[in-house]
Amino acid sequence: MEEKKTKAGDWRSYQRVLLPPVKDLHKLDVYEKHEGYKALREVLTTDKWDPTSVTNEVKKSGLKGRGGAGFPTGLKWSFMPPVDPNIPRFLCCNGDESEPGTFKDRQLMEYNPHLVFEGMLIASYAMSIKTGYLYIRGEFADWITLMEEELEKAYAKGYVGKNIMGSGFSCEIVIHKGAGAYICGEESSLMSSLEGQRAYPRVKPPFPAQKGVWGYPTTINNVETLTCVPLIINKGGEWFSKIGASSHPGPVLYGISGHVNRPGVFEYPTGMLISDLIDEVAGGMRGGKKLKALIPGGSSTPILRADQIVGVTMDADSLRDAGSMMGTSGMLIMDEDVDIVSWLRRITQFYHHESCGQCTPCREGTGWLENIVTRLDEGNGQLRDLDILLDLCTQMEGRTVCALADAAAWPIRYTIDRFRSEFEAKCRPENVPSGGVLETA
Amino acid sequence: MPNITVDNETLEFDGTQRLLQLCLETDVDLPHFCYHPAMSAPANCRQCLIEVGMPQINRETGKPNLDENGQPIIQFMPKLQTSCSMDAVDGMVIRTHKSSELVKRAQKDNLEFLLINHPLDCPICDQAGHCPLQNQTYKHGPEGSRFEFRKVGKPKQIDLGPNVVLDGERCINCTRCVRFTEEISKSNQLTIVERGVRNYPMTPPGVEFDEPYSMNVIDICPVGALTSKDSRFRARTWEMSKTASISTVNARGSNCYYWVKDNKIVEITPRTNMDVNEYWLADEDRLDYHKFNDNRPSGPTISGAEVTWEAAYKAVSDCLKGADGSRVQFVGSAYATVEDNYLLSKLAAAVGAATPIYLAHTEAGHGDSWLRTDDRTPNAQGCERLGFRAANAADLKSRILDGGIDVLYVMEEDPVALGLCSVADLSKVKVVLHFYNTTNQTLPAADVAIPAATAVETVGTLVNDQGLAQRLRPAKSIAGVNRTLSMEIGKCRADRHGTPFDKWYDESNLINCQPGWISLPKIAAELNVAMNYKGPRNIMAELSSANDAFAGATYEAMGEFGVRLSEIGVTA
Repeated sequence: MEEKKTKAGDWRSYQRVLLPPVKDLHKLDVYEKHEGYKALREVLTTDKWDPTSVTNEVKKSGLKGRGGAGFPTGLKWSFMPPVDPNIPRFLCCNGDESEPGTFKDRQLMEYNPHLVFEGMLIASYAMSIKTGYLYIRGEFADWITLMEEELEKAYAKGYVGKNIMGSGFSCEIVIHKGAGAYICGEESSLMSSLEGQRAYPRVKPPFPAQKGVWGYPTTINNVETLTCVPLIINKGGEWFSKIGASSHPGPVLYGISGHVNRPGVFEYPTGMLISDLIDEVAGGMRGGKKLKALIPGGSSTPILRADQIVGVTMDADSLRDAGSMMGTSGMLIMDEDVDIVSWLRRITQFYHHESCGQCTPCREGTGWLENIVTRLDEGNGQLRDLDILLDLCTQMEGRTVCALADAAAWPIRYTIDRFRSEFEAKCRPENVPSGGVLETA
Repeated sequence: MPNITVDNETLEFDGTQRLLQLCLETDVDLPHFCYHPAMSAPANCRQCLIEVGMPQINRETGKPNLDENGQPIIQFMPKLQTSCSMDAVDGMVIRTHKSSELVKRAQKDNLEFLLINHPLDCPICDQAGHCPLQNQTYKHGPEGSRFEFRKVGKPKQIDLGPNVVLDGERCINCTRCVRFTEEISKSNQLTIVERGVRNYPMTPPGVEFDEPYSMNVIDICPVGALTSKDSRFRARTWEMSKTASISTVNARGSNCYYWVKDNKIVEITPRTNMDVNEYWLADEDRLDYHKFNDNRPSGPTISGAEVTWEAAYKAVSDCLKGADGSRVQFVGSAYATVEDNYLLSKLAAAVGAATPIYLAHTEAGHGDSWLRTDDRTPNAQGCERLGFRAANAADLKSRILDGGIDVLYVMEEDPVALGLCSVADLSKVKVVLHFYNTTNQTLPAADVAIPAATAVETVGTLVNDQGLAQRLRPAKSIAGVNRTLSMEIGKCRADRHGTPFDKWYDESNLINCQPGWISLPKIAAELNVAMNYKGPRNIMAELSSANDAFAGATYEAMGEFGVRLSEIGVTA
């Protein structure tokens, strides 16, 4: 058997940088003592940096978006059109964190809010943006209060606002509360929601960089993505690119939940072996049970069976080869007692509940999927229901404005694909054929 | 010119054009629901999906890569694209359901989704028969359904406002109605409420959908979710015939269809004319049709007693024969057609009277900068172009009271209702009245009363406030036989009116009245004045060559969308 290889190097002695072990780091004075706003000062006040060189440094670091899609951040920034003083441009920091199984940005906002602000300011400088919106989901009420308080302090100290550090660069940060809809985490509906409209995703093209918030050029980045930026400035893109898996580098927050002894958010390099994360980082399976299945990056990434994760590391390439995605690295661990059909029913219900209802396939399809999965879970299903489910997935995937339909269809498709016997076992016994031809629709 | 290949056929196109619009204009009937040419394309119904490809460009040379036959290699996008939200680009290749199984399948799948929560109550739905969802399902949809669960329940029979009723379950969430109030009428009175599969359009709390253009959402609704409170449940589409004509409620002359069942107007809907009303029609244009159906006369009368048409014509000529021309006042009408007013002016000239006047019906502040005007008549401009002038009310009243008028000849007007004079004031004046409705308040004062055909029963021309001459076409029949009228109805009604192929010809509700271009020549004949025209077509032909103010306005030229008249000779 091939030896398990981690791409995270000597991860056991890894020093945390996004969430360093510093008491009260969320307070501005503590943050200042620990290199706080040093990167911003360097970018704004030294000749070494101009907007292009900041973007290039981020490109060099190989930073990929941490919000799920994993798009190269520096490249995204360079899509912004040339600066026109008459046209405003905006930055949106996406803190809507609503994918089931994902809870990493919350930690950043709770324990290191100034790193978020600093990241937003440097990104704004790199794209010559004067207004940054921080969109936080409404359920994070406590952290919104905290961040608002800390933002006030940063304004008072002159880190945010007009003429920051005497450099002539001005940038406002506005914290916006969401009202609790999953779809607002999708970038274009986030913009609609920010504008005060119904959070319907928008057709692309035009992309946000051409026509974003209020029709102006806009870049949208995840909270965790932006917190990496000050580190890249401080320690260099090259340092960053050498952390973890080379094709998908950097520190990453693994949100591990489910049937493990020590669930929580853990900062480690990318490219960690999944088995290391479960057995050592998260303290092993709860009650010594066997691992049955795992979702690597939030509920919409394809589910993996225990036998599919042998030797798989947490980075885009390795997970793609294993048949899944990195997503938000919010890992759901399920032990052998889990009823996969019941779990799928819960997930399907979530997507039905959260479909915004704009596009036909998603609006109608998610409800239908839930109906069938519920019937299967209750033991009233028939084998042909599985065929209808897969058919409906095909009818939904890639045919809607945003990716919610895909996110709703994938759990169904891959669960049936990888745990078919469990579905068949739950079908009504009289409907399981003994070798006959299946009744089709 | 840039070109694009649609299903292996190469087309040229101009400027920026949406793929869907391009397909529709070239007779590729791509199914769609949410797209409307006048509004933004949110691409939410997902029905117009097509395959879109572009030539593969060689990065080094910047030219398209060619295959072994020398044709550019087309690279298709991995996902199907909504044709409503994409602009055509030179060299683009698209495949619709005519050549792509994938597109065909996508259209079928989408219709299956649309129908699972649709109530399928077509047998009692007013939209049935002209329902895009119904039509497209027949053309492209699946047979039967695989859906075995309870449909989603939503509010039904909700009065959104005075004129529009909502059935939430029928709604397919295309958001056309919402976009209409946001982008076209700008009233913002509708929005989508709830989420996901429970979505439906609704007014914001405390708001009534009462804008003056609210009923347009009924026409643009691609299902029966929004129906007219006024006309719903009154007739099925296939029980009605429709006539392309123009509205007569205001001076804009919005183009419309008159829907007729059993010789009664049932509904008025907009007809597209990009020069006048585009796709829209004001609510007042739609609702003011009861005057065509109700309180109609049963025949001509002399001093209130019903008589034959011949006797009535004779009585009119008796009134005029001995009269001093200078003491006869002719009153034309901004409700009547150009032809009828023209004949009236000829009659006036024949008896030596002055050019007729007309009565203005303006209501300051009623108009908006869109389809409603201060002027509540359809043809004031036509009267002006004939040389008629609006009556000076005080002057006319004093002349009546001072006994300066012996005969008052009123065509299709109501001076008493306008307050110009009272019935008692007219006791010493001989009054000849052509009238539409028995509610006409001048009727008790009339010595001879001639029932006149309304705008939906006659053939004629109206000139709107922008100087556009447009044709009025007959939608319903009147009692008696007239060759010209029958021919015109046959030409403009799709149901081959009066022929053996006319399924809906009905003898009921025929009104005993005559259009002015029939009654006025008869009266002239009694006076031995020649007024020989075969019909309004010839009157207009004469007028268009004889009078510069109507130059070019022949029936042939006016056609469906009217003729813009020159500005000369008009004093508004």
